[in-house]
Amino acid sequence: MSRTTPADGPTHDADEPRDADDPNEVDGAKIHVADLELGYPGLDDPVVDTETLVIPEGEVTALVGPNGSGKSTLLKGLARHLEPDAGEVLLDGREITTYDSKEFARELGMLAQQNTAPDGLTVEELVHHGRYPHKGFLDGRTEADEAAVERAIDLAGVDHLREAELGQLSGGQRQLVWIAMALAQETDTLLLDEPTTYLDLRHQLRVMDVIRTLNEERGVTVCVVLHDITQAARFADYLVALKDGAVHDWGRPADVVSEELLAEVFGVDAAVEYGTEPVITPRRALDDADV
Amino acid sequence: MSDGHTDGTRTRSRLPATPSGLTGVAVASLVVVALAGFVQIRYGSYDMSWATAWDALTAPAVWGHPRVLLTLLLGEPLARALGLYANTDGLATPAVVVWTLRMPRVVAAVLVGANLAVSGAVFQALTRNELASPYVLGVSGGAGLAVLLTLVFFASASLLLPFAAAVGGTLAFLLVYAIAWKRGTSPVRLVLAGVVVATVFQSLQTGLFFFLGDSAAVKTALAWITGSLTGVEWAGVRLALVPTLLVLPACALAARHLDVLLLGEDTARSLGMAVERVRFALAALAILAAATGVAVAGLVGFVGLVVPHAVRTLVGSDSRRVVLGCVFAGPALVVVADVGARLALAPLQVPVGVLTGVIGGPYFLYLMRKHDDFSTL
Repeated sequence: MSRTTPADGPTHDADEPRDADDPNEVDGAKIHVADLELGYPGLDDPVVDTETLVIPEGEVTALVGPNGSGKSTLLKGLARHLEPDAGEVLLDGREITTYDSKEFARELGMLAQQNTAPDGLTVEELVHHGRYPHKGFLDGRTEADEAAVERAIDLAGVDHLREAELGQLSGGQRQLVWIAMALAQETDTLLLDEPTTYLDLRHQLRVMDVIRTLNEERGVTVCVVLHDITQAARFADYLVALKDGAVHDWGRPADVVSEELLAEVFGVDAAVEYGTEPVITPRRALDDADV
Repeated sequence: MSDGHTDGTRTRSRLPATPSGLTGVAVASLVVVALAGFVQIRYGSYDMSWATAWDALTAPAVWGHPRVLLTLLLGEPLARALGLYANTDGLATPAVVVWTLRMPRVVAAVLVGANLAVSGAVFQALTRNELASPYVLGVSGGAGLAVLLTLVFFASASLLLPFAAAVGGTLAFLLVYAIAWKRGTSPVRLVLAGVVVATVFQSLQTGLFFFLGDSAAVKTALAWITGSLTGVEWAGVRLALVPTLLVLPACALAARHLDVLLLGEDTARSLGMAVERVRFALAALAILAAATGVAVAGLVGFVGLVVPHAVRTLVGSDSRRVVLGCVFAGPALVVVADVGARLALAPLQVPVGVLTGVIGGPYFLYLMRKHDDFSTL
């Protein structure tokens, strides 16, 4: 199996935006990670320990890997929710810790896997909170805020829920509403942690549609953790497969998703076929000794 | 649940969060404060009729002469210093009783109620727990201990007590924060640290009772620990007024940040909030409000717990509306409770904190029975 290491960059893509003038800029990288170690207090070993990782600009990148492979932790590190023990994360070529907190939140949005809000909050009020990084300490709502909220509600397709209280919504509706809040932030980059887990099929597709539209119509760079490798292979422009906190493989889904990958990373014996779309047929879980 | 809304969809246990809800709270509270305040002004050891009380309250000798009014409010030395002094000897006895003895107590009750209720509203949002009160981060333990220490070691310095209470409460809050801090804080860590500090301080405080010299000192100590407005004069009002006018508007303005914090720390951080800084600033504001109330009346209980909760059921979860509602509803509870405290067992006066508990407790019980989603915000 041929390995494309992240350091090589997205070599397979000719229409990638490139910035050849700036030697410090990794070609087409929205986010560039180098020698990153992420851990939690009380744990000796880092949960994520990766040499290089690139999130290409203007593309949808999916992070996949088995439970405990460090997908969510990596995402937290990229979003500044977790301070790295070592290494650096560059957003647009600039170390993320050098951003002011609101400035950073205007560049990069992050939607956690599980979110809580008061049940009595209305959808519109919640989406308005997405404008927080665009406001000063005492600012009220501006016309720009209203317009951004309209666009977000429209794009997420939750216009009919506008007046509803969060406590009345189904899980799928609630996820779309939270995505609308993140959209109202109007960032160039959006990170999403398992946005489709626990949703019914219809809402999974709705969520994916919204993300795709956001990427295609507004050129937003998306990095999304997906539980389901089939979904990731069909949906994403790039895949990053994580294993034990390190990047195992990286590239176009067609190059990355293979029977070897499923065996090595996921511990699954599966058949992988490529027609118009990748088809993954899991056969059995491999024993621990085989992995 | 007893009211039959168990059909899968979530029960809407709250009234619609309309502005009229807030207006309703404000108007009803103002009416209650006015009525209870008038009762407070009419009754007492100096007997007067309703008409006399009304005349004294509206006395042209007071309202017609701004300098007389200011001298009453500011006190003679300050009024003289500002060149606003006017002789108040000409006032009729009922007017003197109303304006120097009974009125300050009503105004003080208003300030105490507003401060404690707003402080409670902020803490309930900060800790995401509707059972939080202004005292959740150790203020009660610190203030009580400081009062007891002052009474034991500086028995004659009763003027120091308000400052001792406020400073003691604030120091305890800082101690709680220091204990809770480990690469940042969390609501749960803060509440746990608050419980630890309050428990230790309250034990020390109880121990100090045995060192109190006489029964008068014991009564003073008890009045502080239970919360009392007995003998409050304009000086007490002045003490509380300046911080109140700074802190309460600040809390109302900062309410938007509370709303974002209510979305959880991760979301707040994703939205660009410097969570620890904002949380500390908001907690400090709330502590200042609590300390202001404590400095005037001691540790009046239950106001900061029950009022924000009641207001929230009427105006919705929007923090700004809750804070504004508390500014009105807090005074209503404390003024009514203080009427009971002063007049129910006259001539004996009981601490107002006893009455807020007696009124607030059953109401709280009622809320608890009525709403099944009670403890989460």
